[in-house]
Amino acid sequence: MSSHREAPAISKDAVADSTDLYAFVSPDDPSTVTIIANYLPGEAPFGGPNFYEFGDDVLYRINIDNNADGKAEIVYEFQFTTEVSNKATFLYNIGPIASLHSANWIRKQFYTVTRVDGGKRTVLGKHLACPPCNIGPGSTSDYGSLASAAIHKLGGGHAVFAGQRLDPFYVDLGSIFDLGDLRPLNKVGPLKLAATHGVDSLNKMNVQSIAIKVPKTALTSNGSTPTDATKQVSVIGVWTSANRRKSVIHNGDGTTTQTGPYVQVSRLGNPLVNEAVIPMAFKDGWNAAPPDGDFEYAKYVANPELQSLLPALYAGAFPNLQALASSGKPRADLEAVLLTGIPSGIVPGFQNNTGSTLADQLRLNMAIPPAKNPNPGGLAFGDAAGYPNGRRPADDVVTIVLRAVAGLLYPLIDKKYKVDAAVSLISDGLGPKNSSYLSRFPYLGTPSSGYATKPLAA
Amino acid sequence: MSDLTRRGFVTKSAGAAAGMTAIGALTAAQADADHPAGSDPVVAYVRDPSKGEISVMTGDREVTVRDRKLAARIERAAR
Repeated sequence: MSSHREAPAISKDAVADSTDLYAFVSPDDPSTVTIIANYLPGEAPFGGPNFYEFGDDVLYRINIDNNADGKAEIVYEFQFTTEVSNKATFLYNIGPIASLHSANWIRKQFYTVTRVDGGKRTVLGKHLACPPCNIGPGSTSDYGSLASAAIHKLGGGHAVFAGQRLDPFYVDLGSIFDLGDLRPLNKVGPLKLAATHGVDSLNKMNVQSIAIKVPKTALTSNGSTPTDATKQVSVIGVWTSANRRKSVIHNGDGTTTQTGPYVQVSRLGNPLVNEAVIPMAFKDGWNAAPPDGDFEYAKYVANPELQSLLPALYAGAFPNLQALASSGKPRADLEAVLLTGIPSGIVPGFQNNTGSTLADQLRLNMAIPPAKNPNPGGLAFGDAAGYPNGRRPADDVVTIVLRAVAGLLYPLIDKKYKVDAAVSLISDGLGPKNSSYLSRFPYLGTPSSGYATKPLAA
Repeated sequence: MSDLTRRGFVTKSAGAAAGMTAIGALTAAQADADHPAGSDPVVAYVRDPSKGEISVMTGDREVTVRDRKLAARIERAAR
């Protein structure tokens, strides 16, 4: 969760496993949008001697639909190469790493960024350095400086960063996948225990982040600066994908021969769609499919399994949701949030609709300015700059999505529907990680260091 | 493509897993005159020999060759 190891096949291919996707108007530079695609779930900080890195054999993409057709008009591609400077050591570093050029750092990773716009390919940067992983005070004592040096300003007003960061996502996986025992609801849940706060299963864990800051004018279909939130041109749909060569032959000597076109093995738009909506038997196929084919999966959004599970797990707590689920009525509220964007006239002054094409995309209305006081509950709590209008690193998407499935937004399309009182209590009992977010690009906090992190520390 | 494939394909392939044959000797230049000559390997994949469809990959390209006889010969060579 939200997309960490969310499908059987990709859970065995960590470097291609997208964990979370974020897209938001940069709070300190509102003429730009920042998009962050995180990969490699659950990095234990003490990962030596083979510390974490991107896959050299994976083509990472950030895809942008800016004309509401469900297809990508703009793509940013990231391809990595790893260089080993000393073949006589088993170590990642043989002394302190004081700079990105340090000779003590044996295994460095670099990348190329290419913008594809209407089929035209423009290389924005080559041989861009990633920072090392945060090993500890003996190796990476000034990690902030190393990470800052890995922010690259590129042509066209772009900035990029690719490397390890603290995972900004928070979720109580231990409770959710123990048959939905949300700890704050313990008293009415199946365990009948005392209510407690949640336990962040991703506490102290890191991810590999690809972050890019893009001028809004480079994202709109007509090159304009979006200022009118009612206009379709102000809305983009974003998803990330990981792609591998179609043919891989293991040569029997520790090398592989990889040939053929890249094929998609993972994708991610909205959080939790493949994780908690698509049935397990179809998750791998969903990961390989393009978003504009999501009409094939729309029935799982329209009648999600979770809306029936909640009343079953919390007997008597969700009578109206139970009736709604039993009625078989399609959940047009969820279809709007996850597959089309919210049309005008539903939430006063807001829309992020991308037409009738059903596609799992993270939709951002770029004309909505950043919130001065962001609410992690996002749009449902009056903050239109937050999820499901794009997604910010601190947004509480687990609570938002669980409450949405439980019927929180259904009155927007059926004014007669009465939301169950228990919906306002639904939460996994967690909030944003204190001091774990930066106020500037790349916005995600310093990764936990291997030396300083105690395994499974709460 | 089919002619080129027939010429160099079967006799050079050996030792592949059932249904999948790697042909090192069929160079990228042979596969596509537009592709610069080099050492890029060429991989041919016969998913279903009875249909005669051969997927030929080199670099980031893939073309499909339809040739039942060739597919059958590849299958026999891989046994």
